[in-house]
Amino acid sequence: MKYALRRLGFYLVAALSAIVMNFLIPRLMPGDPASTMFARFQGRLQPEALDALRAAFGFTDAPLHKQFGSYVWHLAQGDLGLSTAYYPATVTEVIGTGLLWTVLLAGVSVLIAFCIGTTLGALAAWKRNGVLDSFAPPALALIGAFPYFWLAMLALYVFGFTLGWFPLRHAHSPDVAPGFSWAFISNVAWHATLPAATIVLASLGGWLLSMRNTMISVLGTDYVGFARARGLEPKRVLVWYAARNALLPNITGFGMALGFVLSGSLLTEIVFSYPGLGYLMVVAVRNQDYPLMQGLFLAITLAVLAANWFVDLAYVWLDPRTRDDG
Amino acid sequence: MTRALAILVAAAICAGSAGCETGRAGTPPGVLSVSVEQQSAWIRTFNPLAPGEARWPTRAGIYEPLLVHNPVAGEWVPWLATDWSWSDDLRSLTFDIREGVEWSDGTPMTARDVAFTFELLREVPALDQGGVWSFVDDVTVDGSHVTLRTSRVYVPGLQVVAGVPIVPEHIWSEVDDPLTFTNPNPVATGPFTEVRTFQNQVYELGRNPNYWQDGRPYVEALRFLAYPGNDQANMALVEGTVDWAGNFVPAIDRTFVRRDPDHNKYWFPLVGSTVFLYANTTRAPFDDVRVRRALSLALNRERIVEVAMYDYTVPSSPTGLSDSYRSWRLDDDDVEDWTRHDVAEANALLDAAGLAMGDDGVRRGPDGRPLAFDIDVVSGWSDWVRAAQVIATDLRAVGIRAQVRPAEFSAWFSDLQRGEFELAVSWSNDGPSPYAFYRWLMSPDTVQPVGEISAGNWHRFADDEAQRLLDAFERTADRDAQGELADDLQRRFAETMPAIPLFPNPQWAAYSTRRFEGFPSPDAPYASPSPNALPSALLVLTTLRPRGVE
Repeated sequence: MKYALRRLGFYLVAALSAIVMNFLIPRLMPGDPASTMFARFQGRLQPEALDALRAAFGFTDAPLHKQFGSYVWHLAQGDLGLSTAYYPATVTEVIGTGLLWTVLLAGVSVLIAFCIGTTLGALAAWKRNGVLDSFAPPALALIGAFPYFWLAMLALYVFGFTLGWFPLRHAHSPDVAPGFSWAFISNVAWHATLPAATIVLASLGGWLLSMRNTMISVLGTDYVGFARARGLEPKRVLVWYAARNALLPNITGFGMALGFVLSGSLLTEIVFSYPGLGYLMVVAVRNQDYPLMQGLFLAITLAVLAANWFVDLAYVWLDPRTRDDG
Repeated sequence: MTRALAILVAAAICAGSAGCETGRAGTPPGVLSVSVEQQSAWIRTFNPLAPGEARWPTRAGIYEPLLVHNPVAGEWVPWLATDWSWSDDLRSLTFDIREGVEWSDGTPMTARDVAFTFELLREVPALDQGGVWSFVDDVTVDGSHVTLRTSRVYVPGLQVVAGVPIVPEHIWSEVDDPLTFTNPNPVATGPFTEVRTFQNQVYELGRNPNYWQDGRPYVEALRFLAYPGNDQANMALVEGTVDWAGNFVPAIDRTFVRRDPDHNKYWFPLVGSTVFLYANTTRAPFDDVRVRRALSLALNRERIVEVAMYDYTVPSSPTGLSDSYRSWRLDDDDVEDWTRHDVAEANALLDAAGLAMGDDGVRRGPDGRPLAFDIDVVSGWSDWVRAAQVIATDLRAVGIRAQVRPAEFSAWFSDLQRGEFELAVSWSNDGPSPYAFYRWLMSPDTVQPVGEISAGNWHRFADDEAQRLLDAFERTADRDAQGELADDLQRRFAETMPAIPLFPNPQWAAYSTRRFEGFPSPDAPYASPSPNALPSALLVLTTLRPRGVE
């Protein structure tokens, strides 16, 4: 328990410094959102509009410490400000268009890829040089090495455009009203299949390889040999003696991956026209939309920290050494 | 194996579901599917005055201006105003407001609403994007007439005033902060005002029940699907999900037209802003007109438009003016032809300017240093990057070691605005007359010191004679007199060569006449065919008809 609390304290400090960085970094970039927006009109907007834009975005030349003060004050009230790229929509509203979809698509994909990859990795190591071990790791590593964009485009072209089995775009059909109905939920699942499948396929190899490699070294340890020698059931040795210990590095990776879910999967979102935070992040950077950038970074930072804390808790459960230590 | 699996998955998910039609979502009859903005999800903002990107129909189908400028015909179309006139001293501009127009909630639209809109811009300067109050003193209403008195004679102000979208007083006077008002349920005079549905990735706007043009619009509703990028928008266009698109389509004859030659059409009129090669005239040797002329003559524009623009455009006129100024533009023979390709003359000019060719094929400046320059472009704006590559090759052929320097947009734009560049490719300013175009190329008024942000005239060129012509242009409302001044401006431009025009940008417009007819075409050029042209899209939206409806 003490261990978990100590970690929590560490994460609080990390969160605070993240907030400071979050404030500073965008402001060190050249340019300002008003001129970026002005530029998007490429001559169709008269240069006089630049002043109006600057006034609207509250472009202050106020000293940094004052800007920081008002930033923290608004943050404390849960007010992330107005997005300049989607002006006058609030950052909360803009992030709201993508948050759930990102959690759904990227979250589920990471979960599936982790479960399948880890299981396959454990099995491959258990039956070393078996059929699975000979084919799965090289094949998945090969697929993982393809540029993801290309893989996704290919899947979209073959299964969406040419064969027409899956929709070409969007999280659900425009004619299905959102709600807790089977029609809507199945429609969403149908739309998510192709994007999720490409993410899983592309990331499977990583989980599999790291699990397999750790597993092999664990299988060579004395305590596994001892368990076998005692004549324990092979399945029991596999799951509770070997896999449980081999899982530790993968759990860390899983925590990282889960945290980064919120940064979205930009390429998936673009190829499959799927709503999500990855695209918003690019829009924010491209338009120097500091409020949106800060909102997104904050969400990502907090998610990474939270995921890591849960991983710490999982360690406490999986690895007794962390418990004694405290 | 994969196939069986995919069918299995699809079947399992679709079992008993109504939502699983084929991937090609059919658009209901009478609903026009438009692709203009590229977004991954829609945000519900319909504020026509606030800066930023309100949804596209806000200024194209929901709110309407007093006059609509048609860039293809180069003329004003009366809209919420039936007529306009300048007083004799050119100090006041009067609009006759159309009678019988109603807001979409049934309230009559009057001259009071027009005056209210202008007053709103005065109260909240951040809404005044055109800078109306930089030259207007006050606004008065007399019956159905609205009169704006100006602080100085400024005839080009018409375009600023005429383009302001008019908002209803009875709604907007209640709005706390018009700047941050998202206006989710617009009340307006335009043809499409009723938000029928607004979801994350699709929204629809229905007809205004009280639209002032009897029987119009013929289209029942507009539908907008979210496409995050060009590839996705093009795929939807090609498979027939989109009826009207304003995005760039590569090799359009092969990818789009050939799939259904009877219905799939496009027209890319050259009415966009002209793309220039800007040479920083505060730096030697670009302060020498002979050098700028030599740069221009060294360029093979035929090759630039072929490589950079897939031949969708043509080399620029020596006046720099695009086709949207056709009624103003002089014939190529009437001006100094400095945009032709003539390497020999370019070399001769550079020799004459004292930039002698070195043994290594690179010219030297008077200080003996080799002439080496960066051409600044935005990385990722691939058409301009390709144009810059051709330019660099052409310049190397006349002994100038030019190098393409792609930079991230903000860094590029910041350098450009501050005048801290050598050569750069960028756009130019547009307006209904050549006034704004030439003002931002040659007027001393628009020159900022190097290091300070300048919205235009990045190359920092000042010409007093041009200023005299521009001043005269501001002070005459007579089209013939304006025409003569515009002729002089064009000649002056070709003489002083402040910046080097490359090619006019096309306006992208592709459409399918399978479900709708009446799109503008070279045979029926009643408006710009591109949805990107605002508010000229109003002309299109009120003309289109579903097929088979008379």
